[in-house]
Amino acid sequence: MTHISVQKKLLAADGEMQLNVNITLEQGKLTAIYGPSGAGKTSLLRIIAGLLKADKGSIIVNQKTWLDSSKNIFLKPQERKVGFVFQEYALFPNMTVQENLLFALDKGQNKKNVDDLIAITELENLKNRKPENLSGGQKQRVALARALVRKPDVLMLDEPLSSLDLSMRNKLQDYILKVHKEYNLTTVLISHEVGEIVKMSDTVIILEKGEVVKQGKPFDVFTNKQISGKFQFTGDIINIQKEDIIYVVTILIGISFVKVVAEENEIIDLNIGDTVMVASKAFNPIFQKIK
Amino acid sequence: MNVLNGKIAAIETNGSLSIIEIQIGSIFFKTILIETPNSVSYLKEENEVKVIFKETEVVIGKGTEHVVSLQNKITGTINDIEKGALLSKLRIKTSVGIITSIITTSSVLKLDLNVNETVTAMIKTNEIMLSQ
Repeated sequence: MTHISVQKKLLAADGEMQLNVNITLEQGKLTAIYGPSGAGKTSLLRIIAGLLKADKGSIIVNQKTWLDSSKNIFLKPQERKVGFVFQEYALFPNMTVQENLLFALDKGQNKKNVDDLIAITELENLKNRKPENLSGGQKQRVALARALVRKPDVLMLDEPLSSLDLSMRNKLQDYILKVHKEYNLTTVLISHEVGEIVKMSDTVIILEKGEVVKQGKPFDVFTNKQISGKFQFTGDIINIQKEDIIYVVTILIGISFVKVVAEENEIIDLNIGDTVMVASKAFNPIFQKIK
Repeated sequence: MNVLNGKIAAIETNGSLSIIEIQIGSIFFKTILIETPNSVSYLKEENEVKVIFKETEVVIGKGTEHVVSLQNKITGTINDIEKGALLSKLRIKTSVGIITSIITTSSVLKLDLNVNETVTAMIKTNEIMLSQ
């Protein structure tokens, strides 16, 4: 269990902002943080990592105090067991994949850890390559493995997938979930993608102007419980096509495409890329057993 | 989609299913939901709700008298018809506002539906959603 209660005055685009967060992260659970740019998401991760000093507060990770401003306790970043993956790859360009991972080892730490991570993230065929010879997705996979070398108490992912294309993003999501489960990690993911959050996280925290405005299971937080349709999904509009007198809207839900018929009035406010809730009644869908 | 504003008139519950009767102006619609007054707070008599149904679920009957199982019926006159190659859109003027229906163009031709004609719009009980 990780308890985080921190306050910090931040400088936002439209003036000063008070970051005031009081959250609990459970071991083995993936918590997503969602919110507009400038809400304090990255600052919160940097405070947890010790890269930014909170004005006040405490961080207790598995009964170990990383920060307690009332007792003047402030562990240095290198004393906190955190793994970090950013949007930029941040690998050492002059080192191979394997060397990048070995470099992250603590003194005296067993090298077998690196071999295990290479196996679980399926990097065997790439381990002697240098970063310049890897694709974006492969580099992020290496960055993920490297973040886990020191067996972190908290794995923090700051929009690690936002520069990847859709299919690569899906694969990386699966790798993240695999290591998250395999190592029973406490993982925090910053993401702008509702679909990604619904797929990956156990809990989502919505941060706005430094405050937690909503938290809960992603499905409950993002879907509208106040509509009676039981067949409800959140997805992104990929295409809107006029066919005859109606419109066919293609929506990406998770990794599946669905098509919804819409009338002109319904699509007036809709644009490609918008996130929408799709609802139908439980009475309409049919099943076919496939396995 | 068609959205009408109504008020919950009656709730009949059995297990986790409920049939809700909603008053919209002078008419009553019924819908079946996998919800009960215990599972969602807005299911309460007298509460205002939005009654939502898709244009493609609105059945059109010529005239006013029909022997059919559909319970949700409202009569009106055809305001306008937009005919496409396969589908047509009918906008029907009723006492509760415009209701839009999308049916096949061949049905429009077969029933010889024309503007200003009196028709009945019908919606199955399981095709109506409620929202706050």
